[in-house]
Amino acid sequence: MSLQISILTPERPFWNGQADEIILPTETGEMGVLKNHAPIITGLDVGAMLIRGGQASKDEWNSYAIMGGFALVKQNIVTILANEAVSAENINPEEAKEAFEFAKNNLEKAEGIKEKVEANFAYKRAKARYQVVKVLKKI
Amino acid sequence: MALRNAATFLGQRLAGAAELGISAAKSAGGEALTNAFVTEGVRHASNQAVKQRIRAIKNIGKITKAMKMVAASKMKNAQVAVEQSRGIVNPFVRLFGDHPGVEGKVGVTVAVTSDRGLCGGLNSNITKYTKTLLKLGSASAEDVETKLVSIGDKGRSQLMRAEPRMFSHTFAETYKIRVTFAQASIIAEELLKSNPEVVKVLFNKFRSAISFKPTLATVLTPEALEKQLTEPTGNRLDAYEIEATHERSDVLRDLAEFQLAATLYNAMLENNCSEHASRMSAMENSTKSAGEMLGKLTLEYNRKRQATITTELIEIIAGASALMDA
Repeated sequence: MSLQISILTPERPFWNGQADEIILPTETGEMGVLKNHAPIITGLDVGAMLIRGGQASKDEWNSYAIMGGFALVKQNIVTILANEAVSAENINPEEAKEAFEFAKNNLEKAEGIKEKVEANFAYKRAKARYQVVKVLKKI
Repeated sequence: MALRNAATFLGQRLAGAAELGISAAKSAGGEALTNAFVTEGVRHASNQAVKQRIRAIKNIGKITKAMKMVAASKMKNAQVAVEQSRGIVNPFVRLFGDHPGVEGKVGVTVAVTSDRGLCGGLNSNITKYTKTLLKLGSASAEDVETKLVSIGDKGRSQLMRAEPRMFSHTFAETYKIRVTFAQASIIAEELLKSNPEVVKVLFNKFRSAISFKPTLATVLTPEALEKQLTEPTGNRLDAYEIEATHERSDVLRDLAEFQLAATLYNAMLENNCSEHASRMSAMENSTKSAGEMLGKLTLEYNRKRQATITTELIEIIAGASALMDA
């Protein structure tokens, strides 16, 4: 219960709570934040964010799909500013898997820069949601 | 037929009364009679006109009442969205601070207004403050270049007349379906194309159903932020390390763009909600004054109607009594 975490999206404050550890999907890879981390601002890529600890137990991981944004860490307060965030419980596993396959096919078939960029973005989003649901099912 | 009989009967009774009585009645009713004779030609037409006016005002009252109810329900929906969107603006203010007095070389002023009218004094308030802000800007420094952007048709029509040279963009029909963050992002991207240092957003903040205050939100781009660091009231950005694949300036620029988009999103939602609340109260006042006018006109109509009947009766009686005398 050492980190104070708030996830904010433009539409609404998504989640506020406490946790022990948080893994952020930054643009340079996954970054873990524990207690007393140095102050840092980093950009977040489209991906899965994992939070350990919380009301349930010390070792339980919760996952959220973040569609890009920023993370501010200072004095054990973590503020996540995301374009969009989805909780693992709210994702339908079969739907996520189908969307992921569909997006993957589209990406392979895409031609031209505009289509490729759009397909890539859709693929990343579908992948993030699928990953998040996979993590939840495993645990 | 019945009127004729009643008039004959009344005529007999009047004939039975004293001469003085008759003349007194004649002189008392005489004035009304002469008046009636004078306006008789227009009497029926003007009463018809009054009747038409009554009908028109009744319809207007119904329309304004319906508009008020629609605005009330829209406001309730918008209120929920507004309160939730306020959360994301706070971390930016905590991080970068609020510096409304900053003037850069190139600045953009955004006036957030509504698309439709009949919403009270909202839009003229915003344009008044925008004009003042622009005057302040041009008075403080010589080579300051300011661009004016309007979101909403009402702002465009009012500001285009006032400052046509500074005008650069208009965004219309943003509130038509729903305000989305994607819209705000597109607007933010468009605004940042001219590389401004300061972006000032003027909107009506929704405080409550009866209170909307024009508010100024200031967003600084990285160049201005770096300048701010050295000032005593500057931001605490330096306390943070920035981790990124690219350089610090890239991350900061993305962050500033995100802040602008979030601020614009919040501003548009707040203005939308204030617009509905203002329209609700304007329509309420409209309905009330329509009701008052209706009351006055109905009284006048009835009075005229009764006067018509009375004069007709007097004529008939006078005629009948003349017959009696003869």
